[in-house]
Amino acid sequence: MSKENEDKLEVTVKSNTRDLFAFTKLMPNRKKRFERASSEPIREDPIMDLMRKLHPERQYLLIDGIKEETKSTKTYNLVPDPDSETKELAYFRPGQYISLKVDLEGVRITRPYSIASSPKDSLKGFYELTIRKEESGFLTQYIWDNWKVGTKVESSGPEGFFYYEKLRDLAQIVGIAGGSGITPFRSIAKAIIDGTIDAKLMLLYGSSEEDDIIFYDEFKEMERNNPAKIKVVHILSSDIVTLEGCEKSFITKEIIEKYCDARSSTFFICGPQIMYNFVEEELKKFNLPVKQIRREAFGEVKDILTHPDFPKEVAEKIFKIKVHIGDLTKEIPAIATESVLIALERANLNPPSKCRSGECGFCRSLLIDGKVYINPVSDWRRGADKKFNYFHPCASYPITDLEINIPREL
Amino acid sequence: MSESKKQRIEDSYDVVVIGAGNGGLAATAFLAKQGIKVLCLEQHNLPGGVATSFVRGRFEFETSLHELASFGPESNKGSIRRMFEDKLKIDTKFVQVPEAFRLITTDSGEEMDVNMPFGVQNFVDTIEKEVPGSKKSVENFFKVAEEIGEAFAYIGSMKGKPDQGVLLREHSNFLKTAAYSVTEVENALGIPEKAQKILNAYWAYLGLPMSRMNFTIFAAMTLTYAEIGGWIPTDRSHGYTTAIDAKIREFGGRIEYNTTVNKILVEEGKIIGVETSSGDKLKTNYVISNATQTVVYNQLIYPQSEVPEIAYKDVNARIHGLTGFVLYAGLNASAEELGLKDYGYFIMDNMDTDEIYDSWTKLQAPKGLACTVLNNAVPDCSPPGTCLLNITTLYRPEAWKDVKPEDYVDLKNKLAEELLTKFEKATGTSLREHIEEIEIATPATFARYAKLYNGIFYGYEPESWDSMVPRLMSMGKDVYIEGLEFAGGFNRRLHGYSSALNDGVMSAQLTLQKILKERDKV
Repeated sequence: MSKENEDKLEVTVKSNTRDLFAFTKLMPNRKKRFERASSEPIREDPIMDLMRKLHPERQYLLIDGIKEETKSTKTYNLVPDPDSETKELAYFRPGQYISLKVDLEGVRITRPYSIASSPKDSLKGFYELTIRKEESGFLTQYIWDNWKVGTKVESSGPEGFFYYEKLRDLAQIVGIAGGSGITPFRSIAKAIIDGTIDAKLMLLYGSSEEDDIIFYDEFKEMERNNPAKIKVVHILSSDIVTLEGCEKSFITKEIIEKYCDARSSTFFICGPQIMYNFVEEELKKFNLPVKQIRREAFGEVKDILTHPDFPKEVAEKIFKIKVHIGDLTKEIPAIATESVLIALERANLNPPSKCRSGECGFCRSLLIDGKVYINPVSDWRRGADKKFNYFHPCASYPITDLEINIPREL
Repeated sequence: MSESKKQRIEDSYDVVVIGAGNGGLAATAFLAKQGIKVLCLEQHNLPGGVATSFVRGRFEFETSLHELASFGPESNKGSIRRMFEDKLKIDTKFVQVPEAFRLITTDSGEEMDVNMPFGVQNFVDTIEKEVPGSKKSVENFFKVAEEIGEAFAYIGSMKGKPDQGVLLREHSNFLKTAAYSVTEVENALGIPEKAQKILNAYWAYLGLPMSRMNFTIFAAMTLTYAEIGGWIPTDRSHGYTTAIDAKIREFGGRIEYNTTVNKILVEEGKIIGVETSSGDKLKTNYVISNATQTVVYNQLIYPQSEVPEIAYKDVNARIHGLTGFVLYAGLNASAEELGLKDYGYFIMDNMDTDEIYDSWTKLQAPKGLACTVLNNAVPDCSPPGTCLLNITTLYRPEAWKDVKPEDYVDLKNKLAEELLTKFEKATGTSLREHIEEIEIATPATFARYAKLYNGIFYGYEPESWDSMVPRLMSMGKDVYIEGLEFAGGFNRRLHGYSSALNDGVMSAQLTLQKILKERDKV
């Protein structure tokens, strides 16, 4: 029902009177609805509850057991700290990490470690972290000296994108691991075996010597019991090879070809930086689509000087950073070859951080003045962040004096 | 304890804005520009709320924007363009998306595939071509829509207290449709059923069935898109929200990220301050909350005894809207190579909006999708030879309430696969072997990053009794605690980016007036 007198349209929905009346009743009706409604507060938020289980801000853990894996590697069994608010561990995707927050003689630092156990184990109440003592690593030395059964450890929720994704990846996974980069693959292998992931794993695991191999027996057993799903080849750079299933080589194109059909596999790489550099060159020879090669963020760039575009002339320099945080302004020293995040941590100014690889963006800060070097492989910034001078301190190196604004810790 | 944890911020402000989503950012920028001492507190480490972006591999994804309404071309600026370019002068760039929408319905017997260009006349002509004889009635829809737009502007200018005589004389068609649903008015206008189905394509942007959605807001939204187009930032929503953040600081305003407000302190019905999770105790008499009424009254007001009964009743009477589910894919072939010619696709089993909405109440393959291929609006938004695809659907939050963490990934993947299959079928494309990066957002994802109650990003549902008209006319009467205003998608102008931005400015103006009045008294 609508009619037009010359140019004027007159709409009628029910009748002229009823339509106007309906309008006049809008406000009184709304008021009535309010009056009739319950005055009980809303207490439930089931979606937020689910979110908190999946992504707890913090997890308070306790070391429940320690196992020696190799001469320089230990596996720590972590359970919820019964004295804390953490009652259950967050479920995760095999390949993800947790970021530990450690107080190191007054300096608070974070460090990401891949979870080595299966997601199903988290339902049983534990995570396993397998940690190798690094020669120059002051954190791992601290862990070796101080972590005992009963020690309390604080961590983030599960983080990271290094996991098998059914809609994206081919069902044949080729894992390329180096050293302690084996840990996410232990989780992935366990998850394949217990049915969490429907895929196959061919693992090429590089170690320098036989007694550096982590989980040798365990992987052998997984391979034996699940021959259709799990295969492991150890690639050793040392001359002495006595163990079964070992190749004396590096992870070269030829080795990859010998054990895998590269074109129908998705490669997952986790290990030290030097291995990435080598393996990526080898993989280039297969000319694979980008999607078939996935890398775990490798943490802080260890030797920034080896990057060809790093300005070598500043290598020896110590710059000043003027840091704004809340209403505090503080001037701190910063070594050109160390990330801005490390300089901040040394000065006891900790912006939030998790991945320490430039990837997660948790430490995003504003560069007010000065210049930083950002390694292109660790530059995961959003386009507009580049435009407006935001940077990720964990993946940025001071190459002039700086003035920056960092977020407060959560 | 590290110094960054202990570090305090200045403790007294004219206004504290809670949340840096669209509403909070607009409110903060407006007040800062007026020289008001304003602090915006945001729990996340980024501005924007859901108006942001994220990076995976070599792709930067748009999080939630499909097309911004009320932006418009240089020659016919909408309110948001005027806000961004003329008032705030932010450093950002938008482009118009190429077409209004492509509507594909797939049920047998219900098949349609309509490509709708922008322009009111184009809408009328395209629908006439599909449904001969519909022309006059669709023209009338737009005529009424235009009158409604004018009436909204008038009510806004009168601060929600319009003169009934003026309404009756000058906005009678608005008056006579304001209490009715889309279906009721479209039937009254004699719009043929099939023409309604095409005309109603934008329904998913408000997300309630046509039988329940208020006509006036729907007509006004459709007219805005038809008239001045849909627009999208060239560097994702993070581009303009970061640009607003930069302006706020330039104006002398302040934003603190990673700072969650735990308490809004109230004494004798008046705001006296806020407390944050970082331990800040901040004095203020004015709070503009981008956090919703639901969260503020049920969780933030302290002490709880200061929450008046009517505030709980207000929240409980209203119908909480929808949350959603998004599949983000970075594809390793260009849109052209893949045969994706269009920017915005509405893919519905049919246009029975009650049936589609009902499919969103269960954990099943959803019957309605809204998808974008960003490269068809912003060609260089991803590296050469790649493209970005977002497939969005909606859910009632209750559908997700019993999901267990250990079933979460499988559920996500199952639904994502169903979305993808539906999209591929409807568009006749084959995409899955091209997925280089994929991310899936669920209701829990929206709860995580934007701390939304039940993950809900569509505000209270605009049935006629709670649509924009009664909300605007309640202005001033809905302030239950002195000094408290809300801003954003749950407030007066309903949900959607442009509504939330405009609402932020309106709430800031109301607060500014109170502050100036207070200052005059002194």
